[in-house]
Amino acid sequence: MPVISLSFDYLERLTGADREDILKRLPMLGSDIERIEEDHVDVEFFPNRPDLFSVEGVARALRGFMGLETGLAIYRVTPSGMKFTVDPALAPIRPFLGSAVIRNVSFDEESILSVMGLQEALHWAVGRGRSKVAIGIHDLDAVTPPFHYVASERTRRFVPLDFDEEMSLEEILLRHPKGRAYAAIVDRYPLFPLITDDLGRVLSFPPVINGELTRVSTKTKNLLLDTTGTEERAVRTAVTILCTAMVEAGADIESVQIGDMSWPDLSPVTRYVRADEGNRLLGTGLSQPEMAELLQKMRYGAEPAGDGILRVRVPCYRADIMHDWDVFEDVAIAYGYERFPAVISATFTIGRPNPVNSLAGIIRQVLAGLGFIEVIPFTLSNEQVMFYRMQRPVSPSVLRVMHPITEDHTLVRSDLLPLLLEICQLNRHRELPQRIFCVGDVVEQGITYQRMAWVSLHPGADFSEALGTADAICRELSLPYEAEESGDPAFIDGRRGVLGICGRQAGVFGEIHPAVLNAFEIEHPVAAMELDLRVLPEYPVRQDSP
Amino acid sequence: MDLTQNEKRLIVVLAGVGSASPYELGEKFPAPEEAALQYAHLLQARGLATVERQVEKQHFLTDEGKRYASEGLPERQLLDSFSAAIPMADLSRHPLAKIGIGQMRRKGWVVIRSGMVEKTGAASPGTDEEALKDPTRFPEAIPELLKRGLVQEKETVSYLISLTVEGKELAEKGIDTTPETGTLTRDQIVSGEWRDLVLRRYDVTKLPRRVFPGKIHPYQRLIEEMRCILLEMGFTEIYGDIVQSAFWNFDALFQPQDHPAREMQDTFYLHEKGPLPEGWEKVRDMHLHGGNTSSTGWGGRWSEEKAGQCVLRTHSTSLSIRHLAANPKGPVKAFCISRVYRREAIDPTHLPEFEQLEGIVMDEGVNFAHLLGYLKEFYRRMGFSDVRFRPGYFPYTEPSVEPEVFVPGLGWVEMGGAGIFREEVTAPFAIEHPVLAWGLGVSRIAMLRLGLRDLRMLYRSDIDWVRDTPSLLRPDCGGDA
Repeated sequence: MPVISLSFDYLERLTGADREDILKRLPMLGSDIERIEEDHVDVEFFPNRPDLFSVEGVARALRGFMGLETGLAIYRVTPSGMKFTVDPALAPIRPFLGSAVIRNVSFDEESILSVMGLQEALHWAVGRGRSKVAIGIHDLDAVTPPFHYVASERTRRFVPLDFDEEMSLEEILLRHPKGRAYAAIVDRYPLFPLITDDLGRVLSFPPVINGELTRVSTKTKNLLLDTTGTEERAVRTAVTILCTAMVEAGADIESVQIGDMSWPDLSPVTRYVRADEGNRLLGTGLSQPEMAELLQKMRYGAEPAGDGILRVRVPCYRADIMHDWDVFEDVAIAYGYERFPAVISATFTIGRPNPVNSLAGIIRQVLAGLGFIEVIPFTLSNEQVMFYRMQRPVSPSVLRVMHPITEDHTLVRSDLLPLLLEICQLNRHRELPQRIFCVGDVVEQGITYQRMAWVSLHPGADFSEALGTADAICRELSLPYEAEESGDPAFIDGRRGVLGICGRQAGVFGEIHPAVLNAFEIEHPVAAMELDLRVLPEYPVRQDSP
Repeated sequence: MDLTQNEKRLIVVLAGVGSASPYELGEKFPAPEEAALQYAHLLQARGLATVERQVEKQHFLTDEGKRYASEGLPERQLLDSFSAAIPMADLSRHPLAKIGIGQMRRKGWVVIRSGMVEKTGAASPGTDEEALKDPTRFPEAIPELLKRGLVQEKETVSYLISLTVEGKELAEKGIDTTPETGTLTRDQIVSGEWRDLVLRRYDVTKLPRRVFPGKIHPYQRLIEEMRCILLEMGFTEIYGDIVQSAFWNFDALFQPQDHPAREMQDTFYLHEKGPLPEGWEKVRDMHLHGGNTSSTGWGGRWSEEKAGQCVLRTHSTSLSIRHLAANPKGPVKAFCISRVYRREAIDPTHLPEFEQLEGIVMDEGVNFAHLLGYLKEFYRRMGFSDVRFRPGYFPYTEPSVEPEVFVPGLGWVEMGGAGIFREEVTAPFAIEHPVLAWGLGVSRIAMLRLGLRDLRMLYRSDIDWVRDTPSLLRPDCGGDA
């Protein structure tokens, strides 16, 4: 999440409140304070509120929240008379364009950085790393309208930002740092998006890089905004958030004609919400005027419209307001989370443990009673541990993850025994005997179910211990079994058995093969057992599929 | 001072003989020599006796040495094999020539002059020859014989045990040596013989040999504690699959298909595909335009294929929504504590898998104030009496809240997230009433409770840590790992 640096001086000037008040109220507006410094505070706002990704946006919200200036902020847009054309060939590539003219900006180094910060935050939160939306800000006075958004040949040349030589679009993708970073978004198209002025000079190659021609400096007075993207709603959000933040900083907005639409549209969206629905959701008993007043603190336009209905005008920059409940959340925030009574509902229900976990609990008691210590290994493992070291064939039904982070975690365990041996390996310098067990999930053919396993590691561990312990566990679980010789290569031939329970081969036991012990760097004999818990009659039969 | 029976008897024996070897003491005891020495060491530790260690070297003839002791050294045998002189070539044929000729020259018994070996006349027996007959009489010859491998050396360690002044004083005062019984035998108990026995007194202040009980893992205990709290509060426990379709993990929870959390960098995707459940179109419509609710939906596109891709569940909310979809009529109070997966690199505070607790309440008339009530009650029962609430953001809840608890020494600590399920989440499954939901990372609480600095300890346990972590853990005696 973007961290916004808010300068106290600027915030105090914009809100008219002192820093103590600001620091107290900021978290209750919905933010995490990361760091408080001498002259500024670093704050993280939630990704659904990109309108708070600039100090101007925060100030606007705080003024309302602190009751200093409430109600809807009105943003005037006058026509600039400028036009922007859009090439229909862009339809499959990056069809949507938003724009605006921003006049009378007064930039210093700091405010240029602040605008660039907002731009980057919007790229992240709204633009999905520029793939959905990309924003370009240009010195308007360096170019000549009308402007043209076109699908260009890849060989077209211009001087990209931070370079002093012309490069073709293709070269930019290969050589420019921004080109390399964003090539994946456009590379698959034969033509590339390009913005030029009427003289054919390049303003930008969205979503990759601007031209050097329109570089913004402290001398820049008037801006042209280009915002391109693959979804119109997201483009609109980025444009309105940027434009309204600039107005808060003292600029004026003029519209640009794109086709039959005039950009930007900074007018609010009207919603009619039911006050009683809000009260039901929140557990409050607010009157309509009270609710309207709270909403005005959140910078909505709000007034009772009769019949229990509130007419709410949602500011253009509030892209997160999708549903009436979003409005009610703002009622709750303005009301103050700290003022809500915390009460328990009268809902009567009887608690019920899940049978799977109840069974696991019984097994834990039995194993702890037998002197075993429980361990809780990872469920992610790898072929080496799960199969090769166990001398077992790789199971075709094992569940592999597509993009593992490390070689250690390439699949989900289908057995517990290998993981217990791995834990013995980690503990090879610890006192013997080591008797450990585990009850937990495994996955086979996409199905999650529970198994149990134990190992006993000490100089006297042998087959008799394995059989004796397996027998004790089966007796404690009321599981009559028949033991047969097993062919499991993880165990020593002649010292390994299968537990046949209810006609199923439900478990294995025996003395671990010395080659397996070598593979896990274990120096003493190990008796072991593993059991599929689905063999227990109490284990629930699954009804559904994943 | 509580002396053992053996120690007492040793003092008595020693008081009689002054000082003695373990062997002698063993004879008198009677006890094996080693046992007598062990008791003596115990007395030494108490300052009642001294154990003096003496090392003695003894020399024995080797087999070769024994042969020469009877037949004479090779040089002597060689010297005796000829009279005054002999050609070198002839003498070389003698079987002992190899060793003998050199030794004869070294000892000055012969000189070799133009191919002839001539006796010098001086050939009286040396101390080495005497020492061969009795190694103890001529110690000066021993090093040479050792070098020649005719004699071997053995070290004998012996001990001389004596009473100290304190020991003697104790002995003079008189020691009761009536035999004591350690472990009672069956016969002694059954026959009533125990009545006549003196039972040995043990030192109760001594540190014992440590024994380790079998036990349930400390982390599992904590999980059980949370389960109990929720069961007591009337919640039903859910258990479900690790593998979930993106539909259940994301789409059903109104997480847009281009949400960053759905990307490969954050989520473990699988090759498997899952079928979409009946009525999936309602979820699609919700994403596209908000269905029949006041929502606008996300707009854009919605791909059936994306929804069918399987993932390792990234949160337990996938289980909650499936439970609600199967039980759309209230009241429902349910919870689960289950392992969830995030594509994170491992470090002390981040793991690709960890436990998450999640609770849901669905009933007519439940509201935001109730949500805060359930949160407060749960955390109070977990031992966090100070709870406060801040606005939060989660894609599937509205309103959303971030609870914080006060932890002495740490201050306010964020403790999971909560909210009321959005109508966009509940409407497609005809869930009848509002759903209060909250979740928290169980490992966060485990770190606080178990005093852990490294989360890996929970999953790749050091057995000693489990052994040393008490089953009943109090904050003031918390473990430290």
